[in-house]
Amino acid sequence: MPGSASTTHRPEGLIQRLRSAAADGGEAKLKVLRDLKNQIIGNRTKKLSYIKLGAVPFVVSILSSSSFSSDSILVQCAATIGSFACGVDSGVKAVLDAGAFVHLVNLLSHSNEKVVDAGARALKMIYQSKVAPKYDFFQEKNMEFLTSLLDKNNENLTALGASIITHSCETNDEQKILGDAGTLKRLINLLEGTTSQRDASLEAFATIIKQNPQVISEFVGPENGRTWGTLIELTKDKYPRTRLLACTCLILIKNAAPSYLQSVGIRTKLILILLELIDDSGQVGDEALFTLSSFIADEESLQKSAFEANTIDRLCDHMQKESLQPKRLEGMLMILANLCSNLECSRSVLLESPKTISIITDALSHATVDVRVAACMCLKNISRSVKYLSAGHFMTEAVIIPLIQLLDDTSTSVQVAALRTISNLVIDFTMHKSLFVQNGGVKQLVELSKSMDSRVRLNAVWALRNLMFLVDSRCKEGIFLELRALSLTSLVSDPSACVQEHALGLICNLVNGSLDSIDYVFTEDALLLNAVGRQLRNASKPEVLIQGMYVLCNVASGKEFQKEAVMHQILPDSSNGDTQSIMVTMLQSEVAQLRTAAVWTIVNLTIPTGAGALARVVKLRNAGIVSQLKNMANDPCLDVKLRVRTALGQSMIFGDFST
Amino acid sequence: MPVRMVESPTPSTSSGANPGQTCLQPCSLLSVGQTFSGTQNVSSPQKEEAWRVNVRIQGCDLNHGYLCGTMEALNVPMADTPVVTFWEGEIVDTKNYTFFTNKWKATSEVDIDHWTKFPSFSPLLSQVEVDGGKSLDLSNYQYIFMRWKEQYFVNVGSDCGLTIAGFYYVCFSCVDGSINGYYYDPNSSPFQKLELKTTNEGRSGFSFSSYELQ
Repeated sequence: MPGSASTTHRPEGLIQRLRSAAADGGEAKLKVLRDLKNQIIGNRTKKLSYIKLGAVPFVVSILSSSSFSSDSILVQCAATIGSFACGVDSGVKAVLDAGAFVHLVNLLSHSNEKVVDAGARALKMIYQSKVAPKYDFFQEKNMEFLTSLLDKNNENLTALGASIITHSCETNDEQKILGDAGTLKRLINLLEGTTSQRDASLEAFATIIKQNPQVISEFVGPENGRTWGTLIELTKDKYPRTRLLACTCLILIKNAAPSYLQSVGIRTKLILILLELIDDSGQVGDEALFTLSSFIADEESLQKSAFEANTIDRLCDHMQKESLQPKRLEGMLMILANLCSNLECSRSVLLESPKTISIITDALSHATVDVRVAACMCLKNISRSVKYLSAGHFMTEAVIIPLIQLLDDTSTSVQVAALRTISNLVIDFTMHKSLFVQNGGVKQLVELSKSMDSRVRLNAVWALRNLMFLVDSRCKEGIFLELRALSLTSLVSDPSACVQEHALGLICNLVNGSLDSIDYVFTEDALLLNAVGRQLRNASKPEVLIQGMYVLCNVASGKEFQKEAVMHQILPDSSNGDTQSIMVTMLQSEVAQLRTAAVWTIVNLTIPTGAGALARVVKLRNAGIVSQLKNMANDPCLDVKLRVRTALGQSMIFGDFST
Repeated sequence: MPVRMVESPTPSTSSGANPGQTCLQPCSLLSVGQTFSGTQNVSSPQKEEAWRVNVRIQGCDLNHGYLCGTMEALNVPMADTPVVTFWEGEIVDTKNYTFFTNKWKATSEVDIDHWTKFPSFSPLLSQVEVDGGKSLDLSNYQYIFMRWKEQYFVNVGSDCGLTIAGFYYVCFSCVDGSINGYYYDPNSSPFQKLELKTTNEGRSGFSFSSYELQ
């Protein structure tokens, strides 16, 4: 028969004992503190329950009133407070609210080393939480205190010093002041200490060098042989966390100062170490995933090394065998995304594993925002392959439908990530774009192209532009009816130049293809054509002008009246006080692509078979465009030079009016 | 006032530390979305025959000397429908690729035999014989040389009775967008000629389209 639990060990009972402990003798205090500590150690639920019952202020009051009591009580108080603060933000908050901080700091100067240790450990727990107060490195006395901690011959005090740095150092100025105060050198010395000293120092070291090439060049780098050698050595340490942190430091050095870590051997070794650490099922494994992902993110050669180290197979193995925690799944998807950002071989390997592809597409509907974003990124990068886009690998219901659903996601980051993926997938060359249209994709894109968020607007327009590329006439009509000329006109003059660029690219694709397509820019009194002309007169960004000029070029490849409409757009409008044709400005641009687009437009306008060709040539000549072309006969860009030759040849068929 | 144009018919031989390491300049007629049509002569000693062919450029990455697209053969005798294949191209830019194929069963002799079929190749021959053209600067040359290798059938199964084992030696003219090519497959009739011209879908001029991958 089970006996009844002792009431003194129930939370309420313990609280009662704590309440009266202040007046009790030392032994009673010690016992209740021990009982409390034993209950909450490693038990999050109990910690939260005691915090709710107000236990923390009682413990702090015992600490504050115990300056003359036994060292054991001080140790127990500090240990209990540290335990409340360990891994629970609300615990840290309760400890800080109860005013424990100053009492714990006082313990650091106690004569009994055990008391000092307990105080340092508790403060370290506090500094491991993001709710801990930020340490002000710019106050001289604070820096002195921090330096004194790092100089102590006490493992807990040095680890506390390192934790303060890891928690509070955020800006370049803070990194600099810590570097100048010799902190890095002290941390480097600590790398030869105990495991906890090493790990705490590595973390603090990483914080100080992060994205700061100046600090790195002064204190680290291969020329500082000892540090470099120690870090390399620590990548082989027997403790996984130490190996991970050493890798992190080396990668941070490489990211901030790419000239370091050039050795292919070390780079490959780091990838292999991180891959091995991924097998760790705890926090180290999770962090290793993100460290590897950031390591390879921006460098194709590193992606290649990771590919050659069978990263994809290893990750696929994990993904297929285990049910993964969201953080782990996100990390794996990010690595796969980075491996596929440039390498066709990575995309091929993944696409040959239908099981993994299905895990990735399933992750599009995952409950966690970051996983959904990572799944989108992964699919986006896999679909950068024109080879697989041409094979129609992605335009399937299994991929397209969940992506379209994500356009309604409550998170803007997910919406943007989905739009970016869709903008690749809809390039699809297999003429299956209708699948996207039939599933309501266009309606959604058009809606999002009106978003107040410029990132959403940009990526929606981008997707519409790519969807419009080589689309069949029926789909084209459907997209245009949904979009309407008026909305497109406002996108052409959007406040964001990037949106303008893609809106013009969209119109360029709209009027490409069958001859009838050109009619779209003439609907509603040539609303779109006029908007394009206006943008060409007002915009300054070359990318916008290039797209706008190609719209005119495509329209100028149409019927006579369409060519005349283009002439109207490019010739100076005296009623507006224009004296120079925008065409002359474009032809004089320093950007070869813009000159090319402009010359192509003239080529189309001067094709001699047209009834109005002669009149157009005369107008172009009078506007100074032909003489500008003659100045470009030896243009440094071969493409421009060849088109100029064609345009001049065509205009001279009608005679050289200059003679 | 007519002006004299500076002709640059012959590419220079680069000197210095990085010979022939310049990417080719983009050519708008060889950009994504551009289409070409013409014929491939598949005559054998027994029979004169030519297939109508359409080509569309789908991807272009000059930095990596990469081009890809589809090729549609229209009146293939043993097929009920036009046969579409996807091909990938190596652009001979002397940085990513030289005139020597070094694969696909093509020796340097086979390479030279095919390249010399193009008149625009003759100024390059002597240097190509030395180093495959590695030291040539082709960035301002009016012709772009490529190898196109079909990778898969797009609309029919690989059991359709046709082969894509060989590859094309291709010469593209930046001047007018015309394409000439020769198919090489040790098991097929030699020197099947591909002749394509840029198309304009009934337009009175040139039209362009584009996409941008993210």
